Amino acid sequence: MNIIFYLAAAVAIVATLLVVTRLNAVHALLYLIVSLLAVAVVFYTLGAPFVAALEVIIYAGAIMVLFVFVIMMLNLGPQATETERGWAEPELWFGPALLCGVLLGEVIYLILRMPTGTTLARVGTPEQVGVALYGPYLLGVELASLLLLAGLVGAYHLGRRAPHEEPGGGV
Amino acid sequence: MTWADLPALYPMLIPAATAVLLLLTLTVRRDARLAAGVAMAGFIAGLLALAASAAELSHPVTMLLTVDRFAVVFWGILLFAGLLVSVFAVGYFRTLREPREEFYLLWLLAVVGAMVMAASAHFAAFFLGLELLSVSLYVLIAYPRMQSRAVEAGVKYLILAGASSAFVLFGMALTYAATGTLTFAELFTHLTLFPGDVLLLGGVVMILVGVGFKLALVPFHFWTPDVYEGAPLPVTAAVATVSKGAAFALLTRLLLGVIQAQPGHSTLAVIFTLLALASMIVGNLLALAQGNLKRLLAYSSIANMGYALTAFIAGGDAARVAIPYFFAGYIVAVLAAFGVMTQLSTPEHELQEVEDYRGLAWRYPWSAALLTVALLSLAGIPLTAGFLGKFFVLTAGMAAGRWTLVVTLVLTSGLGLYYYLRVITALYQAPLEGEQPTPPPLHLPHRLSVLTGLALAVLAALLLLLGVYPSPVLHLLAWP
Amino acid sequence: MVPFAWIILVSILLFALGAIALITRRNAVAALMGVELMLNAANLNFVAAWRYYYPDHLDAQVAVLLVITIAAAEAAVGLAIILNLYRRFGTVDLDQIRLMRG
Repeated sequence: MNIIFYLAAAVAIVATLLVVTRLNAVHALLYLIVSLLAVAVVFYTLGAPFVAALEVIIYAGAIMVLFVFVIMMLNLGPQATETERGWAEPELWFGPALLCGVLLGEVIYLILRMPTGTTLARVGTPEQVGVALYGPYLLGVELASLLLLAGLVGAYHLGRRAPHEEPGGGV
Repeated sequence: MTWADLPALYPMLIPAATAVLLLLTLTVRRDARLAAGVAMAGFIAGLLALAASAAELSHPVTMLLTVDRFAVVFWGILLFAGLLVSVFAVGYFRTLREPREEFYLLWLLAVVGAMVMAASAHFAAFFLGLELLSVSLYVLIAYPRMQSRAVEAGVKYLILAGASSAFVLFGMALTYAATGTLTFAELFTHLTLFPGDVLLLGGVVMILVGVGFKLALVPFHFWTPDVYEGAPLPVTAAVATVSKGAAFALLTRLLLGVIQAQPGHSTLAVIFTLLALASMIVGNLLALAQGNLKRLLAYSSIANMGYALTAFIAGGDAARVAIPYFFAGYIVAVLAAFGVMTQLSTPEHELQEVEDYRGLAWRYPWSAALLTVALLSLAGIPLTAGFLGKFFVLTAGMAAGRWTLVVTLVLTSGLGLYYYLRVITALYQAPLEGEQPTPPPLHLPHRLSVLTGLALAVLAALLLLLGVYPSPVLHLLAWP
Repeated sequence: MVPFAWIILVSILLFALGAIALITRRNAVAALMGVELMLNAANLNFVAAWRYYYPDHLDAQVAVLLVITIAAAEAAVGLAIILNLYRRFGTVDLDQIRLMRG
């Protein structure tokens, strides 16, 4: 079990280091996704599968898609095709793919040895977390919903087409 | 949480519900005046509901919030600021060629976030309130998104506030690892029992970085001048009042007890003393060189947070009066100053430079008079709210024997007098010879709207009232 | 099990790297990535504290859930502001965006 943790933690740190050092935003973003996936595996080894799943679905999934989306929008320009060609180059995807391969191997190993019992804790099942959220943390859930409302309205206002831009034009 | 808990929360729930209501009215009818009216009604209803909360003191509502006298007083201040900023925004944004309705919706949510911070008793409430306030403010700062400066200020605030939130969160995680609790009460117990626990102290210090950022204490103040300058004026007023008031209320809630319980030279007390000294000195010194009134007020607000921190470090019963009184005076003065600036400005053309205000008294005597009183109050001249606020802070500092802070406060206030007087002199100077008198934007109406006039009159009255007749307010503030 | 100190070390490293990304990257999107990394490091810290010291509390997992929600809202608004930055200035390089002193 320990080796799984160390490996996942090492992947997380290496990927994060590359987030800092890769100059191209797309490269950095790919490594950021790997870093988040590695942290999800760490959560899993710590016995928090629910949090690990949320990390993959919301963080590495939804939020990172937003980032990808915005980076794509910022890349619309004369150099877009050049960038497009760059994305097919192996040195871009090889690093993230390698690190993801390590994580995949870990997950497969974990799933295979699951029946013999991993360190699934007694507390922290989705059901219990849900009961806590709608029990003592009820106000917190309401506040989080207000926060999402603020995010939604804010992004709507900022994202709408500028008054003088003709329809269909520009970012 | 039961039904019986609800009345205590009405002042906060009403603005929150108003935000949802506003969203619904937007689907029926898009009208900036209607939206502003709904928001103002929400703030006024919230203020009225304070009476219900004040009836039940020290009322814990679930483990997340505590509605006590302190919370109610700060809620009052925050709701009042919320109302006035909405009034100012109506006039200011009238020329904006974009939908304006969302401004009021986001502003309601920002004030709710600030109110949550002021009443929080748990890290989850603290963080959610902080983020609700921050996320709304990101958008509000960049709201006139055709103005490059506003967008630039928005990005700067976004990145730095995001980082400070992350510091707060990491600090909370460390604190949780050290104590196993997220409630302020148990944090207090642990901090007094184990003042030397490295993990715990590290966590608290990281939380302080985040709070220091919101208060713009030196050395976490770098964002302040740019964000003040770039943000639209009503939002600058909001950052200077609501955001700081909430952060200071939170700091008081979180650590005032700890500072008092620990010996005078504990690590935390030393850290706070250094922050206060640096803020007073650096804030006042940098304000001296400013030709831009928004930046000048930014540095002035840094110095003012240093003054407030003096009362906080002093602790004791004196501080329990001094902190809310000082804040009431500070917020009224800042709102008055920005209020005057707002009604002379539009998003496209803001009167920012001190030079722009040269000779204002000859064209708009009442506005100039109010700006004068507001600046005098910020400088702490007798008969204004600011004087009594500073007086209570000094009393608290002397009672606790914090002489370094007290002496620094007096000396730097003297320095502050200079730059406030420089602005006031400009107001009354004759317009330059041979030049046109300062042209305020031509499209300005030459009369105020009734609402803005009323708001400015209330602020003027409060500035003087808080300065000469403190006893009703002191009675209200008597904080059990 | 892995010693607790190791996990804290990993989370502190991730936090520090996020902070470094925030400070050194001039691309606004990359700076926002730094913020996300820092928030994520705090999550790791919460889960570790839960697992090692307070396995029968639910606070940590609730906190992580709320933090992920907050990160989503922050990313959405942040990226919308950065899009506006690009529209106004034609770049997202923070060094090239200096209308104001300081």
